[in-house]
Amino acid sequence: MTLEISSSLEQGWQIITVKGQVDSKTVNELRDYLEKEFKSALPLGLDLTDVPFMSSAGLRTLLTLYRQTQSSGVSLALIGLRPVIADTMKVTGFYQYFTVHASAADLPATG
Amino acid sequence: MIDRIDSLPTSEINGYKVRPGKPLPFGVSHVPDGLNFSVYSSVGHSCTVVLFNRGEQIPFAEIEIPEEYRIGSVFCIIIFGLDYEQLDYGFRVDGPNDPALGHRCDPSKILMDPYARTISGRDVWGVAPDWANELYHYRSRVSFDDFDWEGDTPLKIPPEDLVIYETHVRGFTRSESSQVAHPGTYAGLAEKIPYLKRLGINAIELMPIFEFDEFENSRAHPETGELLYNYWGYSTLGFFAPKAAFASTGRFGMQVDEFKQLIKQLHANGIEVLLDVVFNHTAEGNEQGPTFCFKGLDNKIYYMLTPEGYYFNFSGTGNTLNCNNPIVRSLVLDCLRYWAAEYHVDGFRFDLASILGRDPWGAPLSNPPLLESLAFDPILSNCKLIAEAWDAGGLYQVGSFPAFGRWAEWNGIYRDSMRRFLKGDSGQVGKVAQCVQGSPNLYRASGRSPATSINFITCHDGFTLADLVSFNQKHNEANGEGNRDGGNDNHSWNCGAEGWTEDPAILTLRKKQMMNAFSLLITSRGIPMFVMGDEAGRSQHGNNNAYCIDSELSWFDWSLVEANAALVNFVSELVQFRLQHPSLRVNRFDADPISHGLPSSSFHGTHPWSPNWSDDSRQLAWMFAADMDAASASTASTADVVYVMANMAHYPVWYELPSLPPSLQWKLKFNTGDLQSPVQHVPLALTDPSLLVGERSVIILTV
Repeated sequence: MTLEISSSLEQGWQIITVKGQVDSKTVNELRDYLEKEFKSALPLGLDLTDVPFMSSAGLRTLLTLYRQTQSSGVSLALIGLRPVIADTMKVTGFYQYFTVHASAADLPATG
Repeated sequence: MIDRIDSLPTSEINGYKVRPGKPLPFGVSHVPDGLNFSVYSSVGHSCTVVLFNRGEQIPFAEIEIPEEYRIGSVFCIIIFGLDYEQLDYGFRVDGPNDPALGHRCDPSKILMDPYARTISGRDVWGVAPDWANELYHYRSRVSFDDFDWEGDTPLKIPPEDLVIYETHVRGFTRSESSQVAHPGTYAGLAEKIPYLKRLGINAIELMPIFEFDEFENSRAHPETGELLYNYWGYSTLGFFAPKAAFASTGRFGMQVDEFKQLIKQLHANGIEVLLDVVFNHTAEGNEQGPTFCFKGLDNKIYYMLTPEGYYFNFSGTGNTLNCNNPIVRSLVLDCLRYWAAEYHVDGFRFDLASILGRDPWGAPLSNPPLLESLAFDPILSNCKLIAEAWDAGGLYQVGSFPAFGRWAEWNGIYRDSMRRFLKGDSGQVGKVAQCVQGSPNLYRASGRSPATSINFITCHDGFTLADLVSFNQKHNEANGEGNRDGGNDNHSWNCGAEGWTEDPAILTLRKKQMMNAFSLLITSRGIPMFVMGDEAGRSQHGNNNAYCIDSELSWFDWSLVEANAALVNFVSELVQFRLQHPSLRVNRFDADPISHGLPSSSFHGTHPWSPNWSDDSRQLAWMFAADMDAASASTASTADVVYVMANMAHYPVWYELPSLPPSLQWKLKFNTGDLQSPVQHVPLALTDPSLLVGERSVIILTV
């Protein structure tokens, strides 16, 4: 099982799109990709439209990413988060840190 | 940064890189690229770590811990390269198996880690286990312990200011009437925080949340066929793990985060969290019970055994944890420290706590080391410690529990005296006078304070309040034991008909009696506690021991909140009244008279200053007074005075009111005799020197 991860620039945002299930087996791919590709000067949109499930390890990576963007002073938005993941995040306390948008088109013009 | 040398393996066993482990902390802890396993067994010759992929029946590896990795009686090893999110683990311990000598090692059994922070196997409530084919039922798992608390701390509410609401995580919101998104879970409870706030309580006491097996001793009801569960959960599997099936995310193994999120939200709303903890026994039962943890690790250390190697049964449930053995003492201490530090829990209520004061042969100790250790522990120093000060082996220590200046007690004498007063028994007024002051007869001589006393009239164990005023006898047929289980000393009165009735006079009296009970409870000094749903008249149809019932019978029916809105409102007003009136929360037995000259507490009858203490008296009034501190003082008055008049006779009685200093005037706040308007939102100023207290009624005045 592997993830498909790609990056693009849209309206001043860096959009990183993840496809596949993020769990302890795949989470390092995401972590490595972010370490290499995340341009900490730009606001980051993480497109999770095609992520059907995210385990505890995946959610922890999101929170780590949130702390990183916070310390570099840029916005972080989650895009296309599935309701089942959003729900898990809500009851376990992960959700409150994130701005969530239905699609990349909903991102504010300037991060 | 320089890598540490010990972040690299030194050997390989069965294809897994390993190195010698660290003996502390016990259980599993994260080290760079690996996990440190540490387990104690004084009798084991060898110990093997058994590794599974999550939920699988066959282990993917077994790694025997090399003899040279053992330090003292602790087996410890670091194993590298494990996918710890997917990992279930256990131990096999080879050692003596001679029950007559107390040894029950059995390497064919896979044992759960007694320090497991997460336990899998019962992740979703009520999913029936496959007893025959499952090799390993209760599966230790690794947890992260990295929750983001964002500055949350325990609330440190002074004990005398607490109002405790006892509840069962599942039962609180499992009913569809709760209309929460996640019924029966920590998340469901969190959704009801606005209700708890409206009620005004500032502490919830959760019935057991340590992982237990709802299928332990489960059976079909002999007549109805209904499946009976271990619903209450007073039978611990592991002391460090929150119950997975109480988490909506238990199936993802995220119960730790969900429970912490609940505690964080409760704290943000000013509500403390007390855990009902069960250290008196475990779920391994007696010699007929299963072996899944302590029995196979070190039976003789963890359990109290008879000289013949059988299990002492002071808990009434098969075995007794050997709490004053130093090893077990450390386990209990480690456990409580973990919940206090890692979960920000505010305090603990100890089930059958008197067992914790028995020596390894069962004799009560005068200075029990475990209770002393807990009382003086640096990490627990802000935690509330509450004892259920009796056990099933005949110890009854209400008033004499070894307190070390710290321990509070469930006051069973308060419960019984108040129940008897409520139903109109003779000979109660003297006892009631003690009860409402915080029971100085029990606690004053030993230098303890009113907040030592957890005052309650009902709790999970016994009748609900609605049943207390609706049944003379218990009706436990639903438990499938021919109505033989549960206590018979209920001191209850059905108000004229057993159970369900349409008689309006009886129904009215019951409503009034419930309000009377709350009036007495909430205005007593000490710490009031009531059980979930009592504020809305929740009934269990006369079942006073619903430990095995997981149905609408034992769940909170939320439609009652609307149906009995007047009662809910009354309770909420009373709780707010308590929190606004410092005279009800004085935490000293020797408080000085207030500046207006009134004593801190005084007793009265139908005539001021002359209570009738005789056996046939059913009238008592009491006055509590305190100086308002600067912060809460209104401009009108610096004195807080509350006057409670109780008439438990079946006829109304005139009470002459005590005269007040000229700057003060009596005002009526509550009158259970006036069911149309039992609460005056703005207290009603009184001009008459006397007041008629209705039959079986309580009136509460303030100034």
